[in-house]
Amino acid sequence: MSKHRKILILIILLSVGYFGYNYIYQDHRDIKSETSQLEITASYLLERFKTNDGNALLNQTISVTGVITNLEDGAITLDESVYATFDENIPQLTTNEKIMIKGRCIGYDELFEIVKLDQCSLIK
Amino acid sequence: MKTIIVLLIFCLAFLVTAAGQEKYSTKTGEITFEASVPSFEEVKAKNTNVSAVLDADTGKFAALALMKGFRFKVALMEEHFNENYIESSKYPKATFKGTIQDFDASKASEKREYLINGIFNLHGVDKKMDVPAVISVNDGVVTLTAQFVLKPEGFNIKIPSIVSNKIAENVNVSVTFQLQK
Repeated sequence: MSKHRKILILIILLSVGYFGYNYIYQDHRDIKSETSQLEITASYLLERFKTNDGNALLNQTISVTGVITNLEDGAITLDESVYATFDENIPQLTTNEKIMIKGRCIGYDELFEIVKLDQCSLIK
Repeated sequence: MKTIIVLLIFCLAFLVTAAGQEKYSTKTGEITFEASVPSFEEVKAKNTNVSAVLDADTGKFAALALMKGFRFKVALMEEHFNENYIESSKYPKATFKGTIQDFDASKASEKREYLINGIFNLHGVDKKMDVPAVISVNDGVVTLTAQFVLKPEGFNIKIPSIVSNKIAENVNVSVTFQLQK
């Protein structure tokens, strides 16, 4: 009886520890594997933030289509409206190419009047 | 006569573009902040997506950081930072707008310390601040670095007492901008 109880207490302690540890040190979101909540063009996305209709999109994984207007190290600008940064290496792309990307919307940058996305990946 | 007018227009156009070229900017500035307490979990986050613009003629400087862009090592800490402390859905950005004192772009090539006085906006609260910054110009790139301390209570950010001994009262902030024309 008392032996059973000890084992039971040990099991409870271990599972509390296990789940507690997993809760505190849970993994970061993997934006690449998440399904996107919205498909939108780059210029319309900018329009939504300019008209104060974008806050619901903050922190959401969204897909954005547009024409590449600028390419730099680790970042792509679409239609001069969306600035998308990549954690991974950007595949071979050229300006004026029409592409679709998926990323996390982090907000509207009023200094450059551009919407920023991070952790992006190329869809097509 | 005609050639003189054409020449004049050319000169004027050149002058205008030359004057307009004194703007330096970046979209990939870095801000790191740390509020760690020894022997507790590291409280540190980095944002590598900070925008900044410098008008070299007037010394006017502006920076903007999107709060959702701060990344922590521990995912849960990032979630708490966004939802409980900085409330990034309500206050998505932090801005700084100020003027660099005695800034002269033509003499700025050597590394020097300047004082930027301006207004910080964080968590919806405006605060006047003088920030010391080191600025140097190299090959047309203006490098601006600064270290300063912010207090969460000064920006109406409440830290619950249950975690207050794990988060430092003084948050050390360090910024680096590589501004290009």
